[in-house]
Amino acid sequence: MTPLETLETQDSAEAGSTALPPQHRYAKYLAIFRVSLAERMTYRGDFFLATIFRFLPMVTTILLWQAIYEGAGKMQSEMAGFRYRDMIAYLLLTHISRMFSSMPNLAGGIARDVREGTLKRYLLQPMDMIGYLLAYRVAHKAAYIVTSFIPYALLFFVCRGFFDGLPDPATLGAYAISLILAFLVGFFFEASVGMVGFWFLEVTSLLYIVMTVNFFISGQMLPLDLLPEPWAGLLKFLPFQYMAYFPAAVFLGKIQGTALWFYLLGELLWAVFFMVLARVLFRLGLRRYSAFGG
Amino acid sequence: MGILSGFTRYLRLLGGLAVYTLNRELAFRGNFLVKVSVEVIWLGILIAFYRVVFARTSTVAGWNEPQYLFFVGCYFALNGLIEMLFLENCNEFAELVRTGDLDGLLLKPIDEQFLITCRRIDWGTAPNVLMGSIVMVVALVNAGWHPDPLRIATFLVTFACGTAIAYGFMLMLTSISVWMVRNQSLMEMWWLFSSLARYPKEIFSGPWGEPLGVFFTYCVPILVVVNVPANAMVRVLDGPMVALTITATVLLLWASRRFFQHALRSYRSASS
Repeated sequence: MTPLETLETQDSAEAGSTALPPQHRYAKYLAIFRVSLAERMTYRGDFFLATIFRFLPMVTTILLWQAIYEGAGKMQSEMAGFRYRDMIAYLLLTHISRMFSSMPNLAGGIARDVREGTLKRYLLQPMDMIGYLLAYRVAHKAAYIVTSFIPYALLFFVCRGFFDGLPDPATLGAYAISLILAFLVGFFFEASVGMVGFWFLEVTSLLYIVMTVNFFISGQMLPLDLLPEPWAGLLKFLPFQYMAYFPAAVFLGKIQGTALWFYLLGELLWAVFFMVLARVLFRLGLRRYSAFGG
Repeated sequence: MGILSGFTRYLRLLGGLAVYTLNRELAFRGNFLVKVSVEVIWLGILIAFYRVVFARTSTVAGWNEPQYLFFVGCYFALNGLIEMLFLENCNEFAELVRTGDLDGLLLKPIDEQFLITCRRIDWGTAPNVLMGSIVMVVALVNAGWHPDPLRIATFLVTFACGTAIAYGFMLMLTSISVWMVRNQSLMEMWWLFSSLARYPKEIFSGPWGEPLGVFFTYCVPILVVVNVPANAMVRVLDGPMVALTITATVLLLWASRRFFQHALRSYRSASS
């Protein structure tokens, strides 16, 4: 029996029963996770080449910031609270943030399902679409994190000189929480953008604009602290900073004490906000949905 | 005579394809405007980034602000040209291989490389060339630049060479999809690889930066793509580097074509 057949059998069984124990209810999402993981690993050559190429911008970024700090004569001092070493460590850590918060093809996929009418497969089966997409995405993230662990471990080992060692356990705990919440903020934010597809059939263009702006305002290019006021303060109140800046700043100990709790709470609230928003938009969108397509 | 008539035939074909794709693009004007908006935003972000940087330093790797701005404009225009002419076409190649639709293109009585890499012009990125040019002009005005015919001629030649070198690398990356089957992330791969061309080569300094800079200048000459034209216009007119760029262009165009043809020989149709 293939994993897909297993999934089908489980769904059919569940369709006939309304009161299944929780372990059966979640088994289907576990099956989705397994199938998605296998799919992700099918094109290994492509995947590994892309992983190697992903390191090239990191190399140029390190060299660029070295040139900037040397030009400013600040190799031994700070820029907006960041030494050269902190800056490189920060930019490396934003890759880890994005590893959790980036959601390629999620919004576009939802909009395509709406446009082509394939969304009905979620409606006809005893499966929640957002739950399915979440399980699918967790699988892809797990595959990506596992397969890129060795290259990333090697990179961080090579770049260990930019770090002051591991932070204390409490900071590490806060960092882990910030990454998990970054995943949830990223997932539900993109899902919400995808739901706009119920109203506008083509969201790719909107998505491009959102992603382009997000690249800068989430702090992937530089720490938000380098921006002049009021921009730095303003961007720290928006959800985008949680997708890159915030987890990296937590790891480096730039945000501590009450401020750390404040921003973690903010991240949780944004995750809940987008979760509710995605759900509400999905419900409202379904009222307009006409299931075009064969 | 035969070569000339072949050349004009391909030029006519290119013109026909350009008109066809322009009509297609104009049928979706909204989409065209959004694509242009994204590029305007991206250029704005790049400029904002360097404004923040130059607010804290006067030079980056020996480039002052107007010189660096010229470099950014040159990169933006050159990259826009590459995206306009080749990126979308090359990006579709993997899907043609995977589905077997490449068969249809290979049967046509036209050079495969031309048909696969030049059949569509992405007019949505055409304004990038204009925007990049505007940034270059603004940078030259800020730098108090005086027109110099030799520098302008060298810039134009090396700019064309840079475009051809970038095309050669893209063609090689594209060809790999014959063996890898799903190389759907070519657009991303290209963005990652071309990140090497995005900065002045002087940033490649230090114990490991310098060897990397030498490698990507002389062995895999992606660093010369933007550096040489930008340098020729606003910094040093470096004769040997110009000669290297022209030689690299010829060699890379030849090698990439051979590699592409080799890849096509390994292609096994996926269709029934």
